[in-house]
Amino acid sequence: MIEISHLCKKFDDQLVLDDINLKISEGELLVVLGGSGTGKSVLLKHMMGLLKPDEGSICIDSVDITKLSDKELIGIRKKIGYLFQEGALYDFMTVFENLAFPLTEHTRLRKPEIARRVKEILAIVDLEGIEEKFPEELSGGMKKRVALARSIILDSKLLLCDEPTSGLDPIRSRDISDLIKTVSLRMKCTTIVTSHDIRNSFRIADRVVLIRDGRIVASGTQKELERSSDTFVKEFIS
Amino acid sequence: MRNFMKKFLDYLAGIGNALFFLFRVFGNILRGRIRIKELLKQIYEQGYQSVLIIMLTSLASGLVLALQGYVAMVRFGAKEYIAHLVALSLVRELGPVFTALIFSGKAGARITAELGTMNVNDQILATKTLGVDPVEFLVVPRMLACIIVVPILTILAEVVGIAGGYFIGVFEANIQSSFYIHQTIRAIHYVDFFSGFIKTFFFALLIGWVCCYKGYYTKGGSLGVGRYTTQAVANSYILIIIANVILTKIILTFWG
Repeated sequence: MIEISHLCKKFDDQLVLDDINLKISEGELLVVLGGSGTGKSVLLKHMMGLLKPDEGSICIDSVDITKLSDKELIGIRKKIGYLFQEGALYDFMTVFENLAFPLTEHTRLRKPEIARRVKEILAIVDLEGIEEKFPEELSGGMKKRVALARSIILDSKLLLCDEPTSGLDPIRSRDISDLIKTVSLRMKCTTIVTSHDIRNSFRIADRVVLIRDGRIVASGTQKELERSSDTFVKEFIS
Repeated sequence: MRNFMKKFLDYLAGIGNALFFLFRVFGNILRGRIRIKELLKQIYEQGYQSVLIIMLTSLASGLVLALQGYVAMVRFGAKEYIAHLVALSLVRELGPVFTALIFSGKAGARITAELGTMNVNDQILATKTLGVDPVEFLVVPRMLACIIVVPILTILAEVVGIAGGYFIGVFEANIQSSFYIHQTIRAIHYVDFFSGFIKTFFFALLIGWVCCYKGYYTKGGSLGVGRYTTQAVANSYILIIIANVILTKIILTFWG
């Protein structure tokens, strides 16, 4: 269970998050929709403890992560998977090394067990047999799949995906969205996706939250949002 | 005036941030958070990348020093002292300074470009999200490698430079080979060697610090990587030159 209360963040004089209040149930797949520069990525970075809010709290399983020190946050981050827009794979490591890295850092697994786990996770994202390739040899969609695999390899119970479909063609966008849904169900993890891709968001989301200028302006299922009388909501999802 | 104050305050904040960054690196080192595998990889890459150009430069320095020295010393009938001139110049000053400057331009630039590219591609942030301290994983091995590699390269550079002087001394000035070697050994006292050698650790620290810091905080995409890399090399050049003057004065005052 995640509870965000009265979250505010300013960069210089610009208010990026303005009194965000949000509750996310365990196992829920929530999509945060909004245009560019509305504060979606900033919200995710707060949930990962990468940014400190000016006001408000973020409780993950009753622990307010905004009050934790950097050292304590390292422990929390092990339990959270984060998928970056461009994947952020280490380009000096092979796919195998990228995936094995979190396991060698945080588990006591031996080499054969790590190899087995990497193979398993690559099968989940439909990318068997690419262990020895470097990220530069992969397509954009493949990089995102490997990055998704890396973000869940520690059996994360919370998965944060920052604009996973950006830069992909419509077919790849649909595939990666479906994959996130599949992974979320299979790993039984709470998933929060930021996006401005309306069609795919409605395809996979249990609930959608719409953000405008750092404020939540609508929240609900596709049907609930379609019934909204708010002009901005209507315009955005039409 | 307001603009000037803002720039000045930003500059001070930048220095504070850079010092804090250095303390974080030392904090990791003092707590033994050193990744040996990464460190060895960096030592190999930084050393391998710089060794050839440093050898060539120092060979050329030794040759030119001996040629110029020969012309000057023949006028005073003291060509036997070419070995002294070459050895002392290289060991006390030119070896450490040239090595540091070239290393900064080659390996230092590479460090900034690597870390900068990783930063603009979110790889440094990704390291944090994977529950790993990026300073420990990416910066400590690079800085430590600088501190290990620069002194070793300096000694190699000095040996090669002295060999360059030997060729001119023996084949151009017709000094007897055994006499030249004997004069070189006699010329270098341990004070001469260590007064130059100690400087290399300071130079290496400055290069590692500046280049890692600039790379770690690179902004502005691929253009930013280019800009920060150029700044890193230029700043480390300036710092090496200033540090050399200060260290030379201190060493001469207390050690002679």
